[in-house]
Amino acid sequence: MDGWLRWTLPVAAVVASTAPVQAARYLGLEQAQRAAFPEAAAFREAHVVYRPEDVAAIERLSGVRVRSRGEQVWRAEAGDGRLVGFFVLDYVIGKHLAIDYAVALTADGRVRRVEVLEYRESYGGEVAERCWMAQFEGKTLRDPLEVDRDVRNISGATLSSHHVAEGVRRVLAIYEALLRRG
Amino acid sequence: MPEAAPEAAVEAAFAAIAEVDRLMSAHRADSDVGRLNRAAGRRVEVHPWTFEVLELALELHRASAGVFDVTVMPPARDAAPGRLVLLPGPAARLLGPEARLDLGGIAKGYAVDRALSALRTTGAGAGVVNAGGDIAAFGPEEVPVSVRDPRRPDRLLWRLHLRDAALASSGGRHDPAHGREVAAPAVLHPATRRPAPGVAGATVVAPSCLLADALTKVVMLAGTASLPVLRRFGAAAALVPAEGDALSTPDWPGSAARLAA
Repeated sequence: MDGWLRWTLPVAAVVASTAPVQAARYLGLEQAQRAAFPEAAAFREAHVVYRPEDVAAIERLSGVRVRSRGEQVWRAEAGDGRLVGFFVLDYVIGKHLAIDYAVALTADGRVRRVEVLEYRESYGGEVAERCWMAQFEGKTLRDPLEVDRDVRNISGATLSSHHVAEGVRRVLAIYEALLRRG
Repeated sequence: MPEAAPEAAVEAAFAAIAEVDRLMSAHRADSDVGRLNRAAGRRVEVHPWTFEVLELALELHRASAGVFDVTVMPPARDAAPGRLVLLPGPAARLLGPEARLDLGGIAKGYAVDRALSALRTTGAGAGVVNAGGDIAAFGPEEVPVSVRDPRRPDRLLWRLHLRDAALASSGGRHDPAHGREVAAPAVLHPATRRPAPGVAGATVVAPSCLLADALTKVVMLAGTASLPVLRRFGAAAALVPAEGDALSTPDWPGSAARLAA
C-alpha cells in the first residue's frame, strides 16, 4: 500500500460543479486520524446509518438539517481496546462545493480537533487554517457554536465558516444521539 | 488554421485509426497480428507501427515481471507461456504452439496516439481524440474529463483536466441501458487466466495513450504493487478496489467528483 493516497468519499452525493475549480487536498484520512489521536493504536470502523428517529433527534439537538443517510465514524482505541474518542468524517457545502472535514471527539463527546481534508472552491479556503479550526476545541452542544458569537467569522469565507460551525454542531448531536452509549 | 484544413485533419485522424485496426486487429487474418498468429513460429515482417507497439509490450512485460502479457494462452491448459521475439526488418516471431498474440489491450490506445499525431501533422494547434474513453489531447487548452465510479457507474468519481497527456480506464463493462449492473472486467491474469480479484477499476494518465491503455491492465492485475511500473513510465493512476477506499498515486491530477443529489 506504500506510496498510495487514500480517498474516502462521503456517503451522500452533493451538487456538481460545471466549472473547473482550485481544489486543495490537505490531508489523507489516515493522516488526519493520526493527527487527531496520536496515542490511538487502532481506528475501528463504526459507521452509522440513520433511522428516521435518529434524523429527528439530531435535527432537534443541533438545530441543523440532516442531509445524508448516515455518517462515517471511526472509534479511536488504545492498545488495550479502551475507547479514546471518535473520528467523524463529514462534509458540508461551502458556497457551492463540498468541504470534506473531520471532527475528532473525546470519549465523552467534546471536540478534540477539527481538520479540513479537502477544500474545493477558489475562495474561502481559510477555514482550513489551524488557528480558525482550533477555536472548536473543547466545545460541546452546550456551546452556541455560532459564527459571530463564539466562532470567528472569516471575511470572504462567511458561508464556509457558517457551514463548518453547523457541521460541528451536527456532529456533536450525532454523538449525543448515537455514539454516547457506545 | 485555413478553413478547409480542420476537415482534412479529422479525415487524416480517422484514416490513422483505420490503419491501426488494419494492422493490429486479431480478427483479421491479413493483419500483422493475424499473420503472426498463423505463422507457427516463423519470422513475419510487420509494419513499423506494429513493431513500436510490440516493443512497448515487451518492455512492459519485463518491467511488470510478466503481469503484462500480450501472448495469450488458451484457458485451462498447462502449455508453456508464449514468447515474442523482435527482429530487424522490422519483423517478429511468436514462439509457442498455442500462443496467440492479442493487442486488444493496447491497440486502441495506440490508435488514439496515431490519430493525434495525424492532427498535429496537418497543422492543427490543438486537438482531442476520444475513442470510447481512451483520450489524448495536445495544445494549450485543458480538456475536462470525468471518470465514472466503476462500482457505481451512475456516479462520477473523478474530475480532472488533461493537457498534453493521455488517459485510459479499465474496469467492469457497463451498459447504461441495463442500469447499474457492472459485468466482470475482461482483463485476465496471465497466470490464473481468470479475472484478477480486488480491483474494480483503474484509470491511468500517461504521456501517451498507448502507455495509459497498457498500464491500466497492469494496475488492474497488480493493484497497488503497480506503483514502480507507473513511476518508471511517468504515469499517474487511481484505482478502485472491490471494497474500500479509492487509491491514487501522489501525482494523480484528479479531484473527487460528485453527482447532483
